[in-house]
Amino acid sequence: MNSKFELPQVSAKPSDLIQGISLKAVGQPLKRKEDLRLITGQGRFTDDFSLPNQTWAWMVRSPYPHARILRIDKHSALALPGVLGVFTGTDCSADGLKAIDHSPVPSTKYDVKLRGPGDTPVFVGRHVLLPTDKARFVGEAVAMVVAQTREQARLAAEAVSVEYEELPWVADTEQAAAPDAPRVWDDLPTNVLVDATFGNQEATAKAFQEAAHVVNMKTRINRVTGVPLEPRAALGNYDPSTQSFTLYAGSGGAVRQKRELAQVLGVDAEKVRVLSFDVGGNFGTRNRAFVEFGLVMWASKKLGVPVKFRAERTESFLSDYQGRDLITEVSLAMDAHGKFLAMKAHNLSNVGYCCVSLSPLSKGSGLISGSYDIPYAVLRSRAVYSNTMATQAFRSSGRPEVIFAIERLIDKAAHQTGMDRIELRRKNLIKPSQMPYTNPVGSTYDSGEYEINMDRALAIADWSGIEDRRAQAKLRGKLLGVGMANYVESSIGSPKERADVIVHEKHIEVIIGTQPAGQGHETSFAQVTADLLEVSFDQVFITLGDTDIVTAGGGTHSGRSLRHASTVIALAAIDLKAKARQILAHHLKAPLESIDFIHGKFVHHSSHTQLSWFELFQVAQTADLPAELQGGLKIRRDNEMHTPVFPNGTCLCEIEIDPQTGGIEIKNYVAVDDVGRCINPLIVHGQTHGGIAHGVGQALWEQCLTEPDSGQPLIGSLMDYAMPRFDNLPSFKAEIAEVLSPTNPFGIKAGGEGGTTPALAVIASAVEDALLPLCGPVEIPMPITPVKIWTALQKAQKN
Amino acid sequence: MNPITFHRPLTLRDASDLFAQLDNATFMSGGHTLLPSMKQGFAAPDHLIDLSQVPDNAQISLESGYLTIGSMARHVEVATSAIVQNAIPALAGLAGSIGDRQVRQRGTIGGSVANNDPAADYPSGVLGLGATVITTLREILADDFFVSLFETALQPGEIITAVRFPVPKSAGYAKFKSPAARYPQAGVFIATFEQAIRVAVTGAGASGVFRLTQLEQLLKNQFIVAAAQSLEINTEELLSDLYATQDYRANLIKIMAERAIAHMGQASVFK
Amino acid sequence: MAIIHLQVNKQVVTKDVPDQTLLIELLRETLGLTGTHTGCDTTQCGCCVVLVDGVSVKSCTVLAVGVQGCQVTTVEGLADGTNLHPIQTAFMEHHALQCGFCTPGMMMSALDLIQRHPQPLTPEVVRSEMEGNLCRCTGYHNIVKAIVSASEKMHAANPASLAP
Repeated sequence: MNSKFELPQVSAKPSDLIQGISLKAVGQPLKRKEDLRLITGQGRFTDDFSLPNQTWAWMVRSPYPHARILRIDKHSALALPGVLGVFTGTDCSADGLKAIDHSPVPSTKYDVKLRGPGDTPVFVGRHVLLPTDKARFVGEAVAMVVAQTREQARLAAEAVSVEYEELPWVADTEQAAAPDAPRVWDDLPTNVLVDATFGNQEATAKAFQEAAHVVNMKTRINRVTGVPLEPRAALGNYDPSTQSFTLYAGSGGAVRQKRELAQVLGVDAEKVRVLSFDVGGNFGTRNRAFVEFGLVMWASKKLGVPVKFRAERTESFLSDYQGRDLITEVSLAMDAHGKFLAMKAHNLSNVGYCCVSLSPLSKGSGLISGSYDIPYAVLRSRAVYSNTMATQAFRSSGRPEVIFAIERLIDKAAHQTGMDRIELRRKNLIKPSQMPYTNPVGSTYDSGEYEINMDRALAIADWSGIEDRRAQAKLRGKLLGVGMANYVESSIGSPKERADVIVHEKHIEVIIGTQPAGQGHETSFAQVTADLLEVSFDQVFITLGDTDIVTAGGGTHSGRSLRHASTVIALAAIDLKAKARQILAHHLKAPLESIDFIHGKFVHHSSHTQLSWFELFQVAQTADLPAELQGGLKIRRDNEMHTPVFPNGTCLCEIEIDPQTGGIEIKNYVAVDDVGRCINPLIVHGQTHGGIAHGVGQALWEQCLTEPDSGQPLIGSLMDYAMPRFDNLPSFKAEIAEVLSPTNPFGIKAGGEGGTTPALAVIASAVEDALLPLCGPVEIPMPITPVKIWTALQKAQKN
Repeated sequence: MNPITFHRPLTLRDASDLFAQLDNATFMSGGHTLLPSMKQGFAAPDHLIDLSQVPDNAQISLESGYLTIGSMARHVEVATSAIVQNAIPALAGLAGSIGDRQVRQRGTIGGSVANNDPAADYPSGVLGLGATVITTLREILADDFFVSLFETALQPGEIITAVRFPVPKSAGYAKFKSPAARYPQAGVFIATFEQAIRVAVTGAGASGVFRLTQLEQLLKNQFIVAAAQSLEINTEELLSDLYATQDYRANLIKIMAERAIAHMGQASVFK
Repeated sequence: MAIIHLQVNKQVVTKDVPDQTLLIELLRETLGLTGTHTGCDTTQCGCCVVLVDGVSVKSCTVLAVGVQGCQVTTVEGLADGTNLHPIQTAFMEHHALQCGFCTPGMMMSALDLIQRHPQPLTPEVVRSEMEGNLCRCTGYHNIVKAIVSASEKMHAANPASLAP
């Protein structure tokens, strides 16, 4: 079976694979198949599952940012009613449980190659289920209690007595990178685990020397957390008769977690079954296994009963994987006419206490020059440990940060030189004739019409009417501001995907290894399949999430799913049609060439035979077929695709600030997004809206803050963590541009993360524009809350 | 939650008796302060005495220049009551701005006032209007009722039965909501009477709701927006948190006062 | 412990549960109605909203024993057999859900709004009155459309049953 995506001829293009396919379902705003169960309360979220005799786990968590674990006294807890066990890191160790191997260093062909200081391998830290040596962040689980009821487990957890020796700690990103900072891992001389430099030092230096203008900026991108509304949960069960484990746990990829957790438990992967059905939001937060997933399975084996865990929202705030937290220093060199000559960037990413994924740093690194033609660049990418919860990918992993940097840098360049911010961008946008374009850090953008998108967005946003609206707002006592930002982002993702396409009696099933948490895969994949096989959309069903059925797959992240799924399904469709023709040919004792597939039917002209897929299914059941055609009308196809794609677009945001309170209202938000081919516009628009909300949330309200004197997280609940809500977001004007990508048969880029990517920049840009007359150009650190706006205005008034 | 025993007395007398007999008992009306506290582990009563079935405890009536609201009146009932809307529209507006729709449909005036959360809306209305809190034991003037953060003059076992508001000539409320918790970061309630002007501020004071007597004086001289502009507020006595410095809160007090003055006869909500 | 009697989705329910049992625990754990969800621990997310005697409440902050004798309606009680309720249809038509976790509570809140809030239900009113429901997936845009649309349809179909 071919596993590489091999084209039949040298000159063939990926799109040839769908040549002749009539697109009926693809491109339509079809209602989602997944909705019926979700709107009738029949969703299958992890906590909805229960097993007979199940017990409950509750975690004992460190109250200190950094502390040696001296002793854990289980006695009082064990004496409480209903308690079945108290487990510590020592117990895990004794049973030979291993650390979770997250494979955090991105290693697909096109990922930027991150290395440790002095070009050493990156030290990733050991993500054990429960530590034996130290607790490294406030909220790290140091013990687990299992009891008959959740309430009993909770009370017993309070009775577990842990003796700590407090250690010096560091939470702040820059402080953590200092050579003398308290060390999170003794294995490293400092907390810096990644220090790699890319680009062309010599040419960049020369360009900066010769530049007419140099613009510098340093920004701190705030840390946020995903807040998927479904708190993480896990139900583990061990079956001694088969010596195998079952785990119900919402995730970003059941196959991956099965593999990883099997390794932790020291068993073959076949001995672990992961069931991840409906997932209440992911956004990256669930892309990596949590310790509780391994712990409940292990505890189930030890106790002989199923063990269930559900996090409190407070626990989620403490110990969900968090996102962003980047310090970026950037410089842009321009000639006298505003042409960009070179850029320099130094990015410092705070990975938290343990390295779970370097995706944000890596993906961001590949896009520092954004949508612009910048010939030379030097980028230094660093990552640092700190006594905080681990960070990993969060909606558009790494790209909002770097797009913020380049777009705000350009805004600053405009102020500094007096050039118009739109014209400065227009002059430097990569042109379609330059595609595919390799940027100065080696990313090759596949396709795009950047200037056309920008102009379209400007028109929709009524850019020409701004000054009128600004004057009107002023009459009402408000400061109006408009922000704009271009973006390009990348979709790489795990390169392998597998599809099983199976014809049943009355429907077609596709089994695939992506893991949606709301992105509508059951619908969009069915649309693609229906057109490829020329059946009705209503006849196709997608199966996901049970690793006993889904044997392989890359999960869902980085906007990879539709691109990989549609490609492997397209390949499977070709193989399946070939097999189907062979079956019919054999059955009719006719030459293969005489069997055609026309308008969804297998046709043998001379015998006037016309069979649908389902009629052929019947034939396949009963016909006398050679071995290789037996087993039903189905096919398995693997594919491996490394080439990234680059969704891109422009957004504009108009806000009004109340200068007396600092309050902000978003009046208008326009987005034009090139997603490549759009399979379902209803779904893509929904992704854009949700993505915008994540970005705006971070720009205006969300932050994971640590108290500087104590190292205690200041965010413990929704009382502290401000969220996008109905009443602080506008309705959006989102438009789709379809510039087909040449890299895959359907020309898909991705639509899941483009809403977020420019949002940080566009909000900051709008705020600066609003405050410009009173404050001059100003950079307010995100989240840009009313108190910060007011304080900036006060400061300007005093000066 | 910790185990409790739930009691549902049908009279106030029974409720008081139960409280006297039981160890570690707490009254509950809407439950939207108490139950969240219990879930977080901040409150751990063994007995809950639910007051919701005591008859005639949610009545709203207007008589001889006084608006009386029963302690079990839900926020939504006060907000939509024609009587309150006519007599003190700013109070109806205040009730209609509390929390979210579901909170308004369960939370009660008695529960809110008894709790004296420094960020609750009602205390500013009660104090601003110079209301009287009527309990099973006595009547307590608003000025004497709110003692400190989460502390009132209520004795253990004493139950609020109603709050009686003098109907003012005019009243206005303006507040600025915190981005996360959605409580007021400053809520200013202004009421004008024949002989007096009262101003009460919630959401801002480190000891809870307080009278802004400085503004009362200024407004007595001239009831104009500019009166609030010349306020000098002692920032040291103000709350400080993630979303508001003390300076900012002082500013909010001024601005909300201005907006209340400018829009008397309603509640104005900003964010 | 108390034996409580109430109606859930028009079915009479009699259960013996500890007094501290929250309504959501009764629904999910005792009755197996897992359509209503827990999303937070500070009564702020709205995933748990149900109707009690037609009024939306957060079931995580109400004791089961406190709604004795009441009619509780959950998401499982919206459809009439295979006939979807207009609010369900509207959510599906307008793509007002993605992961679906907030959706049950969202629809119950919306229903309360449509049935009891003075008309007309404009997007501004919807956005203001739905403050107590969080969604992390949709950015709210389509939910607003769905609620306004459902309101219009329900009012057109049966004006007498709805609030003036």
